[in-house]
Amino acid sequence: MMCQAECRHYLQFSFQLPDVYQVFESVAKKYDVMNDMMSLGIHRVWKDLLLWKMRPFPGTQLLDVAGGTGDIAFRFLNYVQAQHQRKQKKQLRAQQNLSWEEIARKYQNEEDSLGGSRVMVCDINKEMLKIGKQKAHAQGYKAGLAWILGDAEELPFDDDKFDVYTIAFGIRNVTHIDQALQEAHRVLKPGGRFLCLEFSQVNNPLVSRLYDVYSFQVIPVLGEVIAGDWKSYQYLVESIRQFPSQEEFKEMIEDAGFQKVTYENLTSGIVAIHSGFKL
Amino acid sequence: MLSGVCGRLASALRGTRAPPSAVALRCVHASSSRPSADKSERTEKPPRAFDQALLEFLVCPLSKKPLRYEASTNELINEELGIAYPIIDGIPNMIPQAARMTHQNKKQEEVEQH
Repeated sequence: MMCQAECRHYLQFSFQLPDVYQVFESVAKKYDVMNDMMSLGIHRVWKDLLLWKMRPFPGTQLLDVAGGTGDIAFRFLNYVQAQHQRKQKKQLRAQQNLSWEEIARKYQNEEDSLGGSRVMVCDINKEMLKIGKQKAHAQGYKAGLAWILGDAEELPFDDDKFDVYTIAFGIRNVTHIDQALQEAHRVLKPGGRFLCLEFSQVNNPLVSRLYDVYSFQVIPVLGEVIAGDWKSYQYLVESIRQFPSQEEFKEMIEDAGFQKVTYENLTSGIVAIHSGFKL
Repeated sequence: MLSGVCGRLASALRGTRAPPSAVALRCVHASSSRPSADKSERTEKPPRAFDQALLEFLVCPLSKKPLRYEASTNELINEELGIAYPIIDGIPNMIPQAARMTHQNKKQEEVEQH
């Protein structure tokens, strides 16, 4: 299949890969339902907040990594489209008295409803991407959207290409987080922004106890009842606990070369949005 | 599946006065984009042609060099390393393990040269 040396390189790192891969392969179909059940629908608010923090302008090139089922991508497209429509409305109000030549010219210029914005969804799991593509088709998203099967540690993108890189609830599943962060730094344009939405450490002791009970007693049970998969959801909960704290992760991001790294806690620190810039 | 949806829509139109417009739109959209309904019964959607504009962004994940799209085999080819990444259902598979080696003899020669 590939030359010997490269095969060996991938074999030594791929031992951990199948576990995570299989987890997401089995949860893909029920992913969205489980997200709603486990977070009581709050994950939607978290993802909305990520977009509001991003404030993309028309023409933004977004790379959404580990974005399999397209939640962030669709929100991005909605946001940009709404912005474009608002701009058009303002333009229309100001242009009430156009000459008919100007009006004819407007018909000739085919305006891109997204203003040149584009989102590429990259995920390592085929099943998740398939679900995402089906959702896009069902909800009518066509323009400005691309789906790519790729590894976050070895992105198939050229340097300095994207305005924003997002990874929502995906980076804790990457084997070598530092490599993924370095790749993120590489593919971003200078001035580009790195945004990571991920489970983090709770800062409130009462919430922490409730969260632990919920995580270890309720979530795997839900996983078994709804998705028929206790183990995957056990893995999920454990991977959340193993993930570094807000400060540790902030340092990791800084190590990859990002500057002005900040984080914002959501829901008492159950989730945090980390942000950094490539300057 | 398409004929089933259209049948349901037809009976809904006959039966009730206000069929859900979303279903109607989807049926119209589906029938216009898939004239050969029987053939596409097997796959959920027809595989879309690869968008050439992606070539501006995509590179080989190993060497980070640009790729060439080969329409006949529907693959993205890295000439230098002699590997080809498949495109399945319109989604390019850029995982190195999934790549196929093209011209195996040529590849070994290149390796020896390096």
